Amino acid sequence: MEDLGFILATYIVTFGSVAAFAIAIVRRGRRLAAQLPAKDKPWT
Amino acid sequence: MFRVARLIAAKDLRIELRSRVVTNQVLPFAAIVMVMFAFALNSDAVVSRVAPGLVWLATLFSLLILVQRSFAIENADGATDALRAAGVDPSGIFLGKAMALAVQLAVLELVLLVSAVVLYSTELRVGGIVLLLVTFVAATVGLALVGTLYGGLAGGVRGRETLLPLLLLPVVAPVLIGATRATESALGTGGATVADGWPWVGLLAVFVALFSVGGTLAFGPLIEE
Amino acid sequence: MATPDIETPTAAANTRAGTGTTFTRFIGLATIVSMIALGVFGLLLSPADVQQSDSVRILYIHVGTVWVAYVAFAFTALSSAAYLWKRTTSLAWDRFAGASAEIGVLFMALTLLAGSLWGRLSWGKFWVWDARVTSTAFMFVTYVGYLAVRGLGGSHQQRARRSAVVALLAVLEIPLVHFSVKLWRGLHQDSSVADRTNVNLHGLMLFSLFISLIAFTLLYVWLLMHRQRVLAMQDDIDNSGLDYALQQRRDEGDL
Repeated sequence: MEDLGFILATYIVTFGSVAAFAIAIVRRGRRLAAQLPAKDKPWT
Repeated sequence: MFRVARLIAAKDLRIELRSRVVTNQVLPFAAIVMVMFAFALNSDAVVSRVAPGLVWLATLFSLLILVQRSFAIENADGATDALRAAGVDPSGIFLGKAMALAVQLAVLELVLLVSAVVLYSTELRVGGIVLLLVTFVAATVGLALVGTLYGGLAGGVRGRETLLPLLLLPVVAPVLIGATRATESALGTGGATVADGWPWVGLLAVFVALFSVGGTLAFGPLIEE
Repeated sequence: MATPDIETPTAAANTRAGTGTTFTRFIGLATIVSMIALGVFGLLLSPADVQQSDSVRILYIHVGTVWVAYVAFAFTALSSAAYLWKRTTSLAWDRFAGASAEIGVLFMALTLLAGSLWGRLSWGKFWVWDARVTSTAFMFVTYVGYLAVRGLGGSHQQRARRSAVVALLAVLEIPLVHFSVKLWRGLHQDSSVADRTNVNLHGLMLFSLFISLIAFTLLYVWLLMHRQRVLAMQDDIDNSGLDYALQQRRDEGDL
């Protein structure tokens, strides 16, 4: 495959930063959820 | 609304006449920026080719300072809060501050234009005078409107000094493009003809029209507590 | 303020329940599956383009991210309008706007990155002063500014109104920037990106592009729901979290 470096860089950076963002959100959600009563979380 | 605007504008200009902050600090800043451009570009030919762009760039940088000054005088004694509490029409405040800002900008641009003529050997030509004047008026009004709009948003909050350029510069990009091209046409820079300039004035006019309406509507909710 | 009627969740519920629900878990699973499919089809199964050879594989990412960024910014504008609309001043709309803008900024950054890498391979340069490319960059900076406005502080309603107005002003600004850059480039007679982006789509390539759109749309929905819930909890904690935290510490003391 030509230009493998550029192509892989695109895929890795994209998936990597999306995953990092998603994990950060979930972790923050868990941390905050522990501080709140269930009535403030209408989705549960 | 317009009576309020006139009063606010007169107040701002009177403060400037007595404090002379813009005259003594912003005008010299703009002039030194023009000198710095010449140092950076280091070529008479290049400088005279890009002179219109440099004039408008220096205007934008100075605009940031002018806007900050314009809202610093409001926030120093909580004047905006007092105006709001007194039930003054926010659209009037917006137009008034924009008018005062436009007057200060016009003076500044005149200084920049003169310094371009002196420093960059820019030559004015008779055929382009009308285009030049219309361009300067339209661009000045446009810059004053968006400057006031985003200045009002960033005013009164901590961290506003750094936020204003981030918000303001992307918005005024069309003015920079339009005013620079129109000025090049008016001056004949790079072989541009006067007729080339008028479509750019049209762009500036659209900008002014959009932000005079949008700004008048948006300013109230922006400064409300 | 002593509120003894606060329902104290059990420890088990506390640690397990985050921002997820059955629905988001389903979306999340679908996202992961379709992302893996995108990787397989985009990198392995789809053929190289006749003109662009393998660099076309970058586009499977690029098109997906730019799509999400546009959708996210459009949703921010709609939610902001919904917030300002008459008496619907529900903070939920503001949080949707904020969550969506944040996702949009992330994907716009990824779009610019993938785009410039692709541009280097296809045009030989990372950046071209094309109207679409340039106004995309302006859009990115504009929403970075929008997020900064959200972070200015003040009451929640204040933040909501301020940022909603800024979001609507961005809707005014972006077409204007696009139009003026287009006018500007027009004078230089530069061929636009569109002229040089002739991708002759093979069936499997079209299919990979299709997977990309599905995968990234699912991802957007998942991220939006979770982020909105995190923001909602953040707001609640700002309002009443202190009371609750005190209550919890007291309860611990009683044990």
